[in-house]
Amino acid sequence: MDTFPATLLQIAVTAPILIGLILITGRNLPRSFASGFAFGGFAIPAMLGPWLLLLWCTPTAPAQFQSAGPWGFGFALNGISAPLLAMTALVGFAAGIKALTQEVEARNTYLGLILFMLGGTLGVFATNHIVGFYFFHEFALIPTFILTLFWGGEGRRPAAMQMAIYLTAGAMASLAGILIALDASGLSFDNATFANLVEALARVEHLPAATGALVLFGLGTLASLFPFHSWAAPGYTAAPTPVSMIHAGALKKFGLYGIIIIGLSSLDITGGRLGQWFLWLAVANVFIVGLICLVQRDLKQLLSWSSVAHMGPIFLGLWVCGTSGKAEGLDAAVFLMVAHGLSCAALFLLANAVRTRAGTYRLDELGGLATRAPILAALFIAATMASIGLPGFGNFWGEIGIFLALRAQPLWLQGIIASTVVISAIYALRAVAATFFGPSSEALDKRFASAPFGDVSWNERAAAAVLLGASLLIGFMPSLITRSTNPLTAEITVHAQHAAKAPAAEPVQR
Amino acid sequence: MTAFIANIDLAFKTLAPRATDWQSILPEIAVAGLALFCLVQAMLLPKALRYLIPATARVGLCLVIVMSLITPAPWAPSSDLESFSGLLRQNLPFAGVRAVFLFSALLTSFLAAGFLRDRKAAVADYHHVLLVVTAAFMLLAQSNHFVTFFVSLETAAVGLYVLVGYLRRSDASLEAGVKYLVAGGLSSALLLMGIVLVYGSLGAVGVADSLNFTQIGKILALQTAAHTLSPLTLAGVALILGGVAFKLGAFPFHAWIPDVYQGAPTPTTAFLGTASKAAGAFTLVLLATGPFAPLAVKVGPLLAIATVLTLLVGNLGALAATDIKRTLALSGVSHAGFILAAVTATVVVPGITAYDYNAEQIVVFYLLAYLAGTFLTSQALVSLPAAEDHRRPQLALRGLLRRSPMLAASLGFGIGSLAGVPPTVGFIAKLLVLGLLVKAKLWWVLGAALISVAVSIHYYFSILREAVVRPSDDSEDLAPLEISFSARFLIGALATAALLGGLLILA
Repeated sequence: MDTFPATLLQIAVTAPILIGLILITGRNLPRSFASGFAFGGFAIPAMLGPWLLLLWCTPTAPAQFQSAGPWGFGFALNGISAPLLAMTALVGFAAGIKALTQEVEARNTYLGLILFMLGGTLGVFATNHIVGFYFFHEFALIPTFILTLFWGGEGRRPAAMQMAIYLTAGAMASLAGILIALDASGLSFDNATFANLVEALARVEHLPAATGALVLFGLGTLASLFPFHSWAAPGYTAAPTPVSMIHAGALKKFGLYGIIIIGLSSLDITGGRLGQWFLWLAVANVFIVGLICLVQRDLKQLLSWSSVAHMGPIFLGLWVCGTSGKAEGLDAAVFLMVAHGLSCAALFLLANAVRTRAGTYRLDELGGLATRAPILAALFIAATMASIGLPGFGNFWGEIGIFLALRAQPLWLQGIIASTVVISAIYALRAVAATFFGPSSEALDKRFASAPFGDVSWNERAAAAVLLGASLLIGFMPSLITRSTNPLTAEITVHAQHAAKAPAAEPVQR
Repeated sequence: MTAFIANIDLAFKTLAPRATDWQSILPEIAVAGLALFCLVQAMLLPKALRYLIPATARVGLCLVIVMSLITPAPWAPSSDLESFSGLLRQNLPFAGVRAVFLFSALLTSFLAAGFLRDRKAAVADYHHVLLVVTAAFMLLAQSNHFVTFFVSLETAAVGLYVLVGYLRRSDASLEAGVKYLVAGGLSSALLLMGIVLVYGSLGAVGVADSLNFTQIGKILALQTAAHTLSPLTLAGVALILGGVAFKLGAFPFHAWIPDVYQGAPTPTTAFLGTASKAAGAFTLVLLATGPFAPLAVKVGPLLAIATVLTLLVGNLGALAATDIKRTLALSGVSHAGFILAAVTATVVVPGITAYDYNAEQIVVFYLLAYLAGTFLTSQALVSLPAAEDHRRPQLALRGLLRRSPMLAASLGFGIGSLAGVPPTVGFIAKLLVLGLLVKAKLWWVLGAALISVAVSIHYYFSILREAVVRPSDDSEDLAPLEISFSARFLIGALATAALLGGLLILA
C-alpha cells in the first residue's frame, strides 16, 4: 500500500491521462458530460500539484513520495520537480479553462489530447526513472504535434513538421547520450533511477567525451537552446492557445529539468570545451534572440520569441552553477523556470483574449484597446511586468538571483546580460503600448462598430488570476519554492563539481 | 568395380538422411505440402468453393506457426543442430526466424485474396507460389552449405519473379517483374561467381568440402592466423556478401528496390519488404558470424561503411519520393541499414548483447517489428481504391481520417511503428539496435542511425499529414470506405502488437 503523498502523486498524473482516454474513445459523448469530465481532468492535478508541494516542504520523508505505481517504473518527487509539478498543474488548469471555452471541431478529441499532453508533462516531473522520463517526454510531445497540426492557426503544417523533426532529432541525441551513460554506469533499465545514475557515474572514470554534449544539445533542443531554437517560435505561434500555454510554459521546462537532473548532476556539461560552447550558446539565446524579438510585428510571434529568449538566463544559471559551484545560480534558474512558466502562459492566454476581440495579432492593426477593455489591459500589463522581472512577481527573484550568481564573472559578460534586461523591457513595453494605448486603429474601430466586444470574460479572468496570483504569491513568498529546491540544488552543485573535477584529478598520461 | 560399388554404398550409408533429419525440417515440409494442396484444390474444387483455397492456406499457416513456436521440439532443438550430413544447421533463434517468414506469408495472404479478386487474377496460384517461396526462405535460413544455400535462394527468387509480375494485364507489374528478373539474375551471377571463387581457392588447399560453411570457417581461421589468405578467397567473399546485400536491399545493391516495390502488386511488395528482406538479413547473419567470422577485421569495416551509406541513401532518397509505395520502399532501405547495423555490431564484437538479447535475437525482433509496421501501412493502401496499383500519390490519402478512421488508425500505427515513435514496437526495436551500437562503440554508425531517424520523421509524417488533414475542397470523393471484417480483425491485431509488443520485450 502506497503512502498518502505517493497516492496523491499517482492520481495527479493518472487522472488527466485516464480522463483524456475516456474523451478520445468517447468521441460522441454529450457536450456537457465531456466538459464536466475534462474540467475534472484539469482541476484534479491543479489541486494536487500545489498540495504536493506543500506536503514536500513540510518535514516529510522523501520516501513517502515514492511508489512503484501502475506504470512499470517508479514515481517520486525531488526538490526541483515538486515546484515544477505544481507550476505545470496550474498552467494546465488555466489552459484547460481556455480550452473548455473554445469552439473547435471534434471537441472531445481536442480536450482529450490536451489532457494527454498535460498528463505526460506532469508525468515527466513525477517519475524518478530514466525510462519513465523518456516515456512521458514522448507521451507529451506526440499530442502536441497532433494538436498543432490539426487545430493550429496559420502556418500550422510547416510549423508542426519542423517541430516534429527538431524534437525527434533532439530526443534521439539525448537518447544516445543516455544510452551511453547507462552503458558506462553498468545500470540496467530496471534500476536506472536518476539517483542511481548519478551515483554510478561518479565512479566511472572515462565517459565518452560526447555523452555530455549529446544530452545537453538533445534536451537543449527541447528547451530551445540556440541554435536549435528555430522550431520553437513558429511552433508556439501556430499552436492553439491552450497548447502554446502548456508547451511554452510547462512542457519545454522538462528539457531543462533533464539537463539539470541528468546532465549537470553527472556529465560535466559545464566544463572544458563543452562548457565554453554552452556559455556562448546561452549568451546567444539571451542576446541574439533578444534582438530577434525587437523586430517582431505580431503579438503572438513576439511572445513566442521572447519565451525563447527567456531561456537564456536559465541556461546561464545552470552554467554558472556548474563552473563556479554556485548553488544559487541553479536555485535561481529553477525559480525562474517556475515563474516563467506562469507568466508566459498568462501572456499567451491574454494575447488570445486580445485576438478574439481585435481579430488580429498584428501590432500595427492594434491600438487603443485599453479604453474598450480596461481590465484586459491591466491583466496584460501585469503579466508583462511579471515577464520582464519586476519585483513583486516571481520572475524577479529568478533573474536577480542569476545576475547575482554571475557577479564574479568578467565584466563584459555581465554587461551583455544586463543589456538584455533593457532589450526585453523595450520589446515587451512596446508591444503593450502598441496594443493597448495610443489612438484606436481604424480596423479596430470598424470591427467594434460591426461587432461590439466586451472586456475580458470571467473565464479568462479566472484563468489569468490563477497564473498571476501564483506568480505574485511566489514573488512575495519565494520560500515556497526555495525551501523545496535549496537542499537538492546544493547537492547537485557538489555532484557537478565532482563531475567536473574527476577527469582533472586523473594523471594526464602514465 | 565391386570396390567402387561398395564405396558408393558406404557413402550412401553415411550420407543418407536419417529420420531425425526429416523431423528437423517438418515445418518446411508442411508449408511445401500446403503449397501443393493449394494446387490440388484448384484442380478439384468447383468454382463456387474456390474461396476455400486461401482459407485452408491461412489455417495451415496458423497451424505451422503454432507448431514452430513449440520449443524444444524435434524441429527446433534447444542446441545447435546439424542435419542432412551438414547441409542444414539451425543455429539462429529458430522459432523467431520461422515466425518472421510464416507471419509474413500469412499476412500477405490476407492482403492478397481480396486484392487479386478485385483484379480478376488467380488466387490459388498466387498462394501456391507464395508458400513455395516461404518454404524456400525457411530452408535458406538454415543452410550450412553453399549448395543448399544457392538452391533454396534461387527457388525463392524464381517464385518472387512470378509474384512481382503477377498482374499480367498491368504494364507496371510486368515491367517490375522484368526489372527484378534482370537485377536478380545479376545478383545471382555475382553470388555464384563468389561461391565458385571460394570453392576453388579453398579446394586448392585441400579442404574436403569447400562449400560447407563449417569447413570454410575452420580453414579461414587457420589461414587468417597464418596470413596465407588468398586474394581470390577475399574476392569471392566480397561477391557473396554483395549477392546477399542485394536480397537485403543494402547499399550499393539497393537500386532495384524503388522501381520493383512500386510496380509490384502491393501484397507482393509487402512480402518482398518483409520476407525477402528477412532472408537477406538471416543469410547475412549466418555468413558473417559463421564461415566469414575469422575475416571480421576485413568484413567489419566493410559492413560498417555499407551500413552508414545504406542509412543515408535510403533516407535521403525517401525524402524526395512523392509516391507512397516508393517512399516506403526507400524507407525499407534505411531499415535494412538498421539490420546491417546490428549485424555489424556482432561482427565487430562477437557474442555482443544489449539488454540481455544477442544480436541474432535483435535482428529477429527488428524484423518482426518492421513486419507489423509494413503490413499495417500496406493494409491501408490495399483497402484504398486506386485506378492503378502502382500510382499511389500521397495526395490520394487526403481525407482518409474522415472516410475511414479504421484505415487511418492502421496507417497511423504502422507509420508510427516504422518511424520508431515510443512506445511502439518499432521504437523498442530501434532502441535495441542503438544499444548494440553503443556497446560495440561504433560511434559513426550510431550517429548515422540517429540522423536517419530524425530525417525519416519528415517523410513518414508527411504521409500521415495527408491522411489527417482536411481536404481543401468538397469536390473530392469523400464517400466512407467499406472495410471487410478480416481487414478489421487484422488491423486490430497488428495495432495491438505494434503498441504492446515492445513493452513485453523490455519487461
